[in-house]
Amino acid sequence: MIRLTIDGQEVSVPEGTMIADAAAKLGIDVPVYCYHEALGPLGACRMCLVQVEKMPKLATACTTAVSEGMVVHTSNPQVDKGRKGVLEFLLINHPLDCPVCDKGGECFLQDYTFQYGPPAGRFQEPKIQKVKDGPINEFVLVDQERCVLCQRCVRYMGEYVGEPQLLLEGRGVETVVTTVDGQPATSQFAGNVIDLCPVGALLSVPYHHKARPWNIERQESICTLCPVGCTTLATGRDGHVVRVEGRPVPDYSWGWLCDRGRFGFDFAVNPARVTASWLDGHEEAAARTTRQVGQWLSQVAQEQGGDHIAMVVGGLHSTEEAYQLKRFAEDVLKTRRLAVSRDVPGYLPRALNGTFADLDAADAVVLIGSDPYDAVPVVHLRLRDRKRHAPSTQIWGVAPRNLHRETLPVNTLVTHAGFEAAVMAAALKRVAGTHEAVARLTADLVDSVEADPAQLEALGQELISSQHLTLLWDGQESDVESVLVALATVRGDKPTRVLPTWGPSNWRGFERAGFSARIEDLTRILEDARDGKIAMLMLFGADLLREYPDQELVRQAYDKVPFLIAEGLFPPMDAERFRAILPQAGPSEVYGTYVNMEGRLQVASPSVQPPGQARPVKSYITAWAHALKTSFTLPEDWDPYDDESGDLVPAEPMPTAVRAVSMPVQEAGELELVTGPLVVEDGIPSDILKPRIPEYPGRLSPEDAARMGIENHGLVRLTRQGQSIEVAVAVDAAMTPGRIFVPLGMVQSPVNKIGSGVVEAVRLEEVHSA
Amino acid sequence: MLDGIKAIAKGLGTTFKALTEPRDTYPYPEKRREYSPRYRGKHMLAKDADGHELCVGCGLCEAVCPAHAIRVVAAEAPSDKPVSWTNRYSIDYEVDLIRCIFCGMCEEACPTNAVRLTPFNELAAYDREAMIADKEELLRPAIRK
Ligand code: SF4
Ligand code: SF4
Ligand code: SF4
Ligand code: SF4
Ligand code: FES
Repeated sequence: MIRLTIDGQEVSVPEGTMIADAAAKLGIDVPVYCYHEALGPLGACRMCLVQVEKMPKLATACTTAVSEGMVVHTSNPQVDKGRKGVLEFLLINHPLDCPVCDKGGECFLQDYTFQYGPPAGRFQEPKIQKVKDGPINEFVLVDQERCVLCQRCVRYMGEYVGEPQLLLEGRGVETVVTTVDGQPATSQFAGNVIDLCPVGALLSVPYHHKARPWNIERQESICTLCPVGCTTLATGRDGHVVRVEGRPVPDYSWGWLCDRGRFGFDFAVNPARVTASWLDGHEEAAARTTRQVGQWLSQVAQEQGGDHIAMVVGGLHSTEEAYQLKRFAEDVLKTRRLAVSRDVPGYLPRALNGTFADLDAADAVVLIGSDPYDAVPVVHLRLRDRKRHAPSTQIWGVAPRNLHRETLPVNTLVTHAGFEAAVMAAALKRVAGTHEAVARLTADLVDSVEADPAQLEALGQELISSQHLTLLWDGQESDVESVLVALATVRGDKPTRVLPTWGPSNWRGFERAGFSARIEDLTRILEDARDGKIAMLMLFGADLLREYPDQELVRQAYDKVPFLIAEGLFPPMDAERFRAILPQAGPSEVYGTYVNMEGRLQVASPSVQPPGQARPVKSYITAWAHALKTSFTLPEDWDPYDDESGDLVPAEPMPTAVRAVSMPVQEAGELELVTGPLVVEDGIPSDILKPRIPEYPGRLSPEDAARMGIENHGLVRLTRQGQSIEVAVAVDAAMTPGRIFVPLGMVQSPVNKIGSGVVEAVRLEEVHSA
Repeated sequence: MLDGIKAIAKGLGTTFKALTEPRDTYPYPEKRREYSPRYRGKHMLAKDADGHELCVGCGLCEAVCPAHAIRVVAAEAPSDKPVSWTNRYSIDYEVDLIRCIFCGMCEEACPTNAVRLTPFNELAAYDREAMIADKEELLRPAIRK
């Protein structure tokens, strides 16, 4: 530790700390533009000048490391004069068009000029004119005149994200920020530069000319569009969310968002959203539909018993809402048929669930099926950051397609579809075959797992010997659960932590509220429904036809259930089959707690009112309890937080039972369908994001495309076990030959209709509507 | 008795004297008083010589108003159909004349000199709604007849 004095206060900080951070620790504000802790020091803007005793000139606080006994002054006549000078220079060519600048009122150039700047500039000549409101991409605008050349944006895209799509062009006062070759920036992290830019040079298109800090409602919220659960600030104005920003949380997150989360907020005002209700196919006031559902509930409960009612929760519901549903189901309806909507079969025991801190500490990371860039974007950034700071971190992939990306090198062991668990088990068998847990795990395994023995050996070694192992798992193969338990048993005290990358984003919260998140319980409900044992199936935010891995079973179940009820933000697939559809109030519209993939509880506060007739779940429950003539009152005081575990859901004992991995059968065929989540295609519509949603979401390797006669993109029919779907595919050079990737949950190409595995592929002629 | 008559005569004397004195009141609305041009009455939104609105919707008047009487909603004008002199303009501008205390801070805060307080002070209406002056109304400054 180094001791130094700043403005007369003593502080001790670790060696290598910059003066700016040491001052921040004391609560002393040193103005900065270019410095950002995540990006490291640069020293481009000179805004952070401070005086260090025994140094001949003013020093930059962001690039000067502390030393023992240093005496720093952050405010004295000399420093003030330095800052005045820097600001006067920055303002020489600045347009000062604050009245039309979106940053007005929250701009660091305004703030610092007001606090430290000169009252007037001496520069009389005409200012240099540059591009105003030019595009960076569909979502970001650049006003080059307002740029202070801090380079945060350029360094962020180049170094942090690894997609160098912004650059500085020109020299001296002519320097401007622009995109490479004038091409739009395509990175899904480009939106973060809006938050990073200290001035009004990089602006959000959807928020352009929309509001001012004094006429908005800005609330701390959570992005619920994928399991990462990034921390956000939601800005509401006149009843609509108009902006989402990242919210840095000290020692937890930098506040990065992906463009899906940053710009996808307009689902709330999408015309397809349910804001009234449907009753037997016609639009109806929600209050009436609620009453009618209440009558049906009471009818079913009286005639057949409450156990003939089943509830499935999913979508963007909060933990509290799930808890209220669970209490209503158990206390009033007396049914135990409760499940969480699932789109993959895997389940992760709580005891194995890791946190993001495990990514920052890992010396080996294994991606099981998961492509973080597509499934959990901000985790991809975090992983990349880990790899940059600790280049020795090994990143492995075990997946039916190559997970390697330029921004994140992954050593992928490419398996056949459905073979991930078997390959991992085989790798374990090679290095720890004698261990009891591994022996049990591999009991059914015949030695025909097709993989390069050297690679298997290397993976096995990594799994066993790494000091801190963190795994990401997509949940596509339920057998992996057993592999993970065995792995943790073999590794003993060395941390083995897993981050589940599947949705619904709040599934762990639903579990905390008392719902079972295991797919077996959902399957049982559907089978019982198919067998006519369920009279009423109530879906809360869940769209089973789109989500559940076996679409046929859902169809058969729907056919047999007399009362199909849905509540949600959007009408479920095959909406006409539902007797009643009720509107849902979403995140940022009601107070709610959401649990992310770490098992972390995070609170989202509302910044707007629910639109139309949308109401929180509890108002439906109250009305139904009334219809059932019970005196049920909702418990108001339930708190999802636990005394012991803080903001994580409570710990559970480590499971020890290891089931044998079943040996999958390799089907014969040239092309295998593989699937996984793609956040921009997760079924929640957004008009703002439309230009980013791929027209051809499927991916095919150039080799297979050439074989099928597809040039850049085309339409294919995939057939498997007598069922077929049509998919628009694009050629992707990074795709593994012999595989075709189709994202999960697309209504027009439902993978869950045919399942993954070997498919028959036929190229179709594209019909272009004129 | 005599004292009483004296007192009444004195009182009436004052009354008759006042009848012939010049008046302090005006027979409003037949006759109206001239105000100083700096009098702070109802607001107006000014335009420039080309007919473009001066207001760019920056919202500073809204921020400074101690009575929260102003509401501004800005928007981007299509490039071929400018509304103000730049691409940003106010699509909505309202002053609640019941809340307003006619302090003139909005006028002072406006960087483009768009919102101005005119001497017009004949503010009366049958309901509160009608006392909220919208943009249309403010662009056509009221003139005393
Ligand atoms: S960047 Fe800041 S100082 Fe410059 S015009 Fe915008 S608000 Fe004003
Ligand atoms: S655009 Fe903003 S972030 Fe980028 S260099 Fe200029 S001021 Fe810095
Ligand atoms: S990574 Fe996920 S949680 Fe974070 S902003 Fe993107 S969609 Fe939202
Ligand atoms: S005159 Fe004063 S009170 Fe009235 S609108 Fe302007 S700032 Fe507000
Ligand atoms: S913040 Fe120190 S030089 Fe820019």
